[in-house]
Amino acid sequence: MALAGAVFRAMRITGMNLFRKPVTVHYPEKPRTYPDRYRGLLALTYDPKTGEENCIGCRLCEFICPPAVIKVEMLKSTGRNYAKSFSLEMYACEFCELCVQVCPTDAIVMTKSFDMATTDRRELLLDKDRLHAIGLKHQPSWATGNLLRDMQAPPAPPKKPPAEGAAPAPVSAAAPEPKAEGEKT
Amino acid sequence: MIPGVPPLIGSLIMGSIVLGFVVGLVAYTTLLERKFAARMQSRVGPYRVGPHGLFQPIADGIKLLLKEDLIPTSADRTVFNLAPVVFLIPCLLIFASIPFAPNIGVADLNIGVLFFLAVSSMEIVGLFMAGWGSNNKYALLSVMRAVNQIISYDLPLLFAALVPVMLAGSLKMSDIAAAQAGGFWFIFYPVLGQLGFLAFMIAGVAAENRTPFDILEAESELVAGFRVEYSGMKFGLIQLGEYAHVLGTSFLGALLFLGAWAGPGPAWLGPLWFFIKAMLMFLLFTWVRWSFVRIKVDQILAVSWKLMLPLTLALLIVTAIVIVMRGPAV
Amino acid sequence: MAEVRAIDYTGSERLTMNMGPQHPSAHGVFRAILTLEGEKIVGVDAVIGYLHRCHEKLAENLAYVQYPSIASKTDYVAAMSSELAYVMAAEKIGQFEVPKRAQYLRVMVNELQRVASHCLWLGTWCLDMGGALGGGTSIFLYCIRERETVLDLFESLVGARLLYGFHQVGGVRYDPSAGWAAQCRATIDTIEKRLLEYEQMLDDNAFFEARTRNVGVISSALAQDVGVSGPLLRASGVNFDLRRDQPYSSYEDFDFKVPVETEGDCHARYRVRMVEFRESIKIVRQALDRLPEGPISSRPGVKSLGQVRVPKGEAYARVEGPRGEVGCYLVADGSQKPYRMKWRGASFSNLAVLPYILPGVTVADVVAIMGSVDPVFGEVDR
Repeated sequence: MALAGAVFRAMRITGMNLFRKPVTVHYPEKPRTYPDRYRGLLALTYDPKTGEENCIGCRLCEFICPPAVIKVEMLKSTGRNYAKSFSLEMYACEFCELCVQVCPTDAIVMTKSFDMATTDRRELLLDKDRLHAIGLKHQPSWATGNLLRDMQAPPAPPKKPPAEGAAPAPVSAAAPEPKAEGEKT
Repeated sequence: MIPGVPPLIGSLIMGSIVLGFVVGLVAYTTLLERKFAARMQSRVGPYRVGPHGLFQPIADGIKLLLKEDLIPTSADRTVFNLAPVVFLIPCLLIFASIPFAPNIGVADLNIGVLFFLAVSSMEIVGLFMAGWGSNNKYALLSVMRAVNQIISYDLPLLFAALVPVMLAGSLKMSDIAAAQAGGFWFIFYPVLGQLGFLAFMIAGVAAENRTPFDILEAESELVAGFRVEYSGMKFGLIQLGEYAHVLGTSFLGALLFLGAWAGPGPAWLGPLWFFIKAMLMFLLFTWVRWSFVRIKVDQILAVSWKLMLPLTLALLIVTAIVIVMRGPAV
Repeated sequence: MAEVRAIDYTGSERLTMNMGPQHPSAHGVFRAILTLEGEKIVGVDAVIGYLHRCHEKLAENLAYVQYPSIASKTDYVAAMSSELAYVMAAEKIGQFEVPKRAQYLRVMVNELQRVASHCLWLGTWCLDMGGALGGGTSIFLYCIRERETVLDLFESLVGARLLYGFHQVGGVRYDPSAGWAAQCRATIDTIEKRLLEYEQMLDDNAFFEARTRNVGVISSALAQDVGVSGPLLRASGVNFDLRRDQPYSSYEDFDFKVPVETEGDCHARYRVRMVEFRESIKIVRQALDRLPEGPISSRPGVKSLGQVRVPKGEAYARVEGPRGEVGCYLVADGSQKPYRMKWRGASFSNLAVLPYILPGVTVADVVAIMGSVDPVFGEVDR
């Protein structure tokens, strides 16, 4: 009967899956690999060459944040400005990456980790020191402000015949090697 | 049964051993089902409690013991409290009539199969008490369906179980097992055996409220059905009863159709073979459970009265004719 | 408090049962006050609003550069469609051009989202019908396994799995990286093979057909009267698909079939969605093959809050989401924030058909019908 056929087919599928390898990843013993662009915890970065903080306290991230979780106070100084205080309410953050996108100095980035579970929500109100600590502890994702803006910008009109690896144009879509993946597929 | 010991004491000892064995088996059957179902769904089942989840049933038992025992204010206390017990007793009592080896078992009754099927349908009383005593619309709705369903499917189950009884010529379980000695299991009996096995499987799945006939629980519509108000060890008792019933039906199926303790090797391996066959029946029930969506109650009843009952009745009549034509010798 | 409507409460043996906001099969927070006679439903009173989060008011206070990632949260299962409706409305008013590559990326991402959303639909529907302990769970877990691979794709592209913020006014925010196309092809190949398995489990399955044939029939006239859209409309015989009939974002460049069935029951809706699975995979393949080079946005990437100013005007943009027509009506006043924004939620209009089809069915059918209507309450309540 057709019924018997249908029954056997359905049971065959479940039977087949019985012998397939389960897709379970035994987290946390086995770590998961995160893609390059993973939007994890936010962090503040240091300049790798000089060791100084990247953040200039411009407050662009504060203005762009949709749920308004960032609060920055600028500290004026000679040559460049700093952030006097930088607080980020991680419990309300939407992980939309807009703050990363607008940052002119690539100071705020997202990392490849989400691991910050606590039992007290107040521990998720991050201040500047904790944000820097997260940046040192976890690996940052590929996306920084400048890279994102470069990816999204329309190409500048060609001034001369394009040469590969040419001098950096101000708003150019073809950035040189620092980008881990720059090819358009 | 045990030589040299008065029958009463012997029965008590055997009874306690069987009871202990069944309760332990039921607990680990839940783990078996969970791991089996998990593997069919591309995941691992319980994994962390003990190596590969082996202590999970113990953890579940301890958890149930430690839970708060809630009784709804408007519930009928006597009925509510008695229901799990009344449900559990028949489900455990059926194991008293199953012989695990030619002379091992609590009581090998002359009317073994009849006793088994009659007692196992008494669980309906406990079910209804649970639904009624909970004083909850969901529970009541679910037990109304359950009573309907179990009563409807007990008849086809009985008729399907009668096929091997007629082929063996006796209701005594050890006689039925002996008639299958030498590899002539009733499931291999041409046409009648296979049809009987199929009917037994279908009616068995329905009589135990397993998917695809599990409207009793119908989790997504009625939350937990008749068990919705039970917590703690009372819930544990109900679970125990349910799984004991499924196991009992698996053992009965193995005995009636799969040759009970017949198997290669010396005679003392008999109970092991019986156990393995019962477990295979149980896995078959489980495989069916995790493969299908459930059907509605009116369709379940339609299948029972319009399809199963006439077919099993016809099967019984044909079996009777075949036996008469074959002659008195088996 | 739900107002009393003209439901006939007389009659003996009537039971008022609440399929409450917390229920294993309510698909979200939805309250249905059912009046039962025995097992048959004679009246239904639907209460929504448990998930209202004031999206429309929120949009008046958030700039055009901020809102797209919030727009994901209306229909959170098919986030890309909601974002697309919003940015398309803004682009329509401001006459902003969207480069071809961005349009193809939008199409690709929307179709992948359709595949993921239908995976979730099939899984949760079978879960409701089969029970959390039963065969439904098996299909649910297989569908989730497939959906996870699509979400992995999105993770490689955007960084997020469920709520993206992928679209922006003028284009999209992210460009696929070098290995993404290969990963995409591998994923959709696997899904296409696995689809065969689901069809084997469910097609011609007597149990499944018993639950879904002739259950919840929506006639063609009723569907058009009430305003349902999407697979519900097409399963009732109305041959209308926004992607083909009012193409947006370069859909006219793609070649795909639009499935239409006439019975209007749950099984018809199942068939329509299963065909849509395959057609979406076809579209993704075509988009991958023909993806043009070029910029992904006609406007520079977001650098400041007031970057996008939409001139005065109003527009309504419609998108064919997995559940139906998602629409965004935007009134702009020249500043960086809209003056008014209204969502047309597909599930909101689809749910309106319930009082017409539920009376006369049993409680078990309610579950099957709700599953086949496939509401997402983020869209209903906004």
